[in-house]
Amino acid sequence: MTTGNTGTADEAPLFGPESQFHTFFDDPRWALAMIRATVLEAAHPQIGAALLDNSTFVAHPWRRLRNTFLSMRRMFGADPAVREREAARLNRLHARMSGSDSRGRAYDAMDRATRAWVVATLFESAVTMCRLSGQPLDQDTMERMYAEYRQFLAALDGDAGELPDDLHDFWRYFDRVVEDELENTEAARVILYRLFDHLPAPALLDGAPTLWAAGRAVAGPLLGAITVASLPEPYRRRAGLPEMPGAPTLMQGAYLAAGLTRFLPAGWINAESIIEILSLAPDSDDPRARTVAALHARMKRASALIRLVTPLGGDADPGPGPAPSAGTGEGRRSADEFFRQVLDQTGDGHLDWPDLAAMARELSTRLDLDEPEETRLYDAFAAWWRELQAALDTDGDGRVSAAEYAAAVPSLAGPALIRVAEVLFDATDKDGSGTIDADEYRALFRTAFHRDLTATDGAYGRSVFVGEFLSFMSGRRTSAPYDPLLADA
Amino acid sequence: MDGSCHSGGAGPDVTDYSAPRPRATTRDQPDGRQYGDGSGGQRQGDGPVRERWSGGPGEQRRGGEPANALPLHVACVMDGNGRWAQQRSLPRTAGHRAAETTVIDVIEAARTAGVGWLSLYAFSTENWSRPGAEVDYLLRLVRQVVRKHATLLLARGIRCRFLGVADPRIPPELARDFDDLTTLTADNRGMTLTVAFDHGGRRDIVEAARSLIRSGTPADEVTEQLFADHLPFPDTPDVDLVIRTSGEQRISNFMLWQVAYAEWVFPEVLWPDFRAPDFLACLHTYRCRDRRYGGVAPRTDGDPS
Repeated sequence: MTTGNTGTADEAPLFGPESQFHTFFDDPRWALAMIRATVLEAAHPQIGAALLDNSTFVAHPWRRLRNTFLSMRRMFGADPAVREREAARLNRLHARMSGSDSRGRAYDAMDRATRAWVVATLFESAVTMCRLSGQPLDQDTMERMYAEYRQFLAALDGDAGELPDDLHDFWRYFDRVVEDELENTEAARVILYRLFDHLPAPALLDGAPTLWAAGRAVAGPLLGAITVASLPEPYRRRAGLPEMPGAPTLMQGAYLAAGLTRFLPAGWINAESIIEILSLAPDSDDPRARTVAALHARMKRASALIRLVTPLGGDADPGPGPAPSAGTGEGRRSADEFFRQVLDQTGDGHLDWPDLAAMARELSTRLDLDEPEETRLYDAFAAWWRELQAALDTDGDGRVSAAEYAAAVPSLAGPALIRVAEVLFDATDKDGSGTIDADEYRALFRTAFHRDLTATDGAYGRSVFVGEFLSFMSGRRTSAPYDPLLADA
Repeated sequence: MDGSCHSGGAGPDVTDYSAPRPRATTRDQPDGRQYGDGSGGQRQGDGPVRERWSGGPGEQRRGGEPANALPLHVACVMDGNGRWAQQRSLPRTAGHRAAETTVIDVIEAARTAGVGWLSLYAFSTENWSRPGAEVDYLLRLVRQVVRKHATLLLARGIRCRFLGVADPRIPPELARDFDDLTTLTADNRGMTLTVAFDHGGRRDIVEAARSLIRSGTPADEVTEQLFADHLPFPDTPDVDLVIRTSGEQRISNFMLWQVAYAEWVFPEVLWPDFRAPDFLACLHTYRCRDRRYGGVAPRTDGDPS
């Protein structure tokens, strides 16, 4: 739902590199503001329900962040054609999301008023971030920025009619929604209290779970407290959020400190390179990966040492975390691991259509698909979902639990899954040559193919492709190309 | 005795405390012997290495001087913990606990003496048949020992690794500690300590055979060298000396492939009573042995050409 949650459109003089939006692009305060905006979005009952059902941000937050970032860049880039195409893609993506929340209220990701609220939270959070860090925007800048955000909404929706014309009315609109419409939704609570406490490590830090967990244990609750303190007072009251002594000071301190980074040399806080590095896996073929691999080895040793010198708690140290997968051997995941890392994309503990839709979404985003290929891919996944549901949903509740999956693992590779592999092959093979060449491979896996080619050299043909996809999906084999695509956080 | 060998090599009685400390020249391990990726090639042939590590010509001929240089690879079968405890009317577990001191003592002694590779037989695949409580105790004890001495091993430059460790009965926390210690000390260049835990020599050989078959090697191309490359830790050199305490004289399925040419000594002392001087005495015994490798003129050993 919030994939369209940031960005700005530029029709004419308002934008490009001089836009207000662009000024904040690399601003570290923006990270805090984005969290705050996402909570405000999630507090909207429609958006909250859509997020909970469809979003992969709990299980795969880093992949999600990267996608949002890239989408944002396209939306506000200088090229109107790119923007139009991205807007169309976002609209198609959101058009596939509708359903009903736990109380049976319908939601629809294409609802215009709701989409206006997403844009409103982004604008309001940008303004607030400047106020909280002691550098408030002047009236002109604020109005200009408001125009940018309206333009962004117009690029998505055709017009910005759902947002008030001028800034003066905007504040009344904003306060009214906060007062009347926001709720203490499950999604907002998940973001405030669960997301950061359980945030999985990005690819870069994947080898250092202890370090990551230690850092997260400190930073998670802090981020939660900072975000809570920055929310509008009426919402805090209605949602029953805690007022902690010192939290406002902490929050303002965090914004102030983040704002001070503007004195750092340019380039140190480039959002794009930070996101790219975080999602860099050590075995990718990026030249920076070598440095990362060295760093990785050091971190692994450091975390090994930390674990070894940590006193044993009591007589047993249960360690609920995933044991090193060495035990499963032969590059196979246990059924439970596979369920958690690959199948349950939304991280709700169940396999459901939104999980497979998220896979289709990720694949079509990577391949940059247009219609009708995108629909073909979704249809293939939908057929696979029906097949899975028929085979695995033994208790008939419409979704598949981890236990149901574990009990019926062998029956996973049915004709519909093979069909998914074939459609994916066709979509990847953009020039229809019958083989996947280096560029096409890179589009899907973001890495060059080298040792992964088991078949005849140079050509990655249909049967090999289908075979590897099936062994990843049904054989639960770990796979160098597919793991970063579907399993990494 | 002063460095001499009486009657051509010591018998089983190695409690020869007057034996001199073997010269503790800290030898750097020859390059290229530490790493193995299992693909073959890194395991140097038997010949040159053995010659290099056997006594040099100058060393052999000085009267009763030892015939061999220090063993490159020493293995210990740590036997007698239970009997040690029974002699003291203690539960068997007390014997295992007492073994910890010996382990650390022997590691220190081996490192100081300049032994490049030390292997300890901690737990065999057959040991799972011991009473459940004893096995549980051992598993807990090993975990404690590993964690307690991790920093010491790191500081001493000892590279640790664990041979075996395949059974699902091994608690995941213990397996993780093994992994951690291996990771932590992987870059060390001092002595390599191999702890055989849940180890069986035959199982290793069977696994190597499987791996060989899986790799599709034609039967005629299988050589001893190639086979050895498929064993776990293929960079491990052949064992030169096995010390089995408590007077038991059995192989007990221990590193069967690697002990092919090993010299064995069987000190009567029980493992918890075994100390650095005993270890040095065993080294001395080894140095006085006449190693033949089935040939007749072992003296050519020391003449690398």
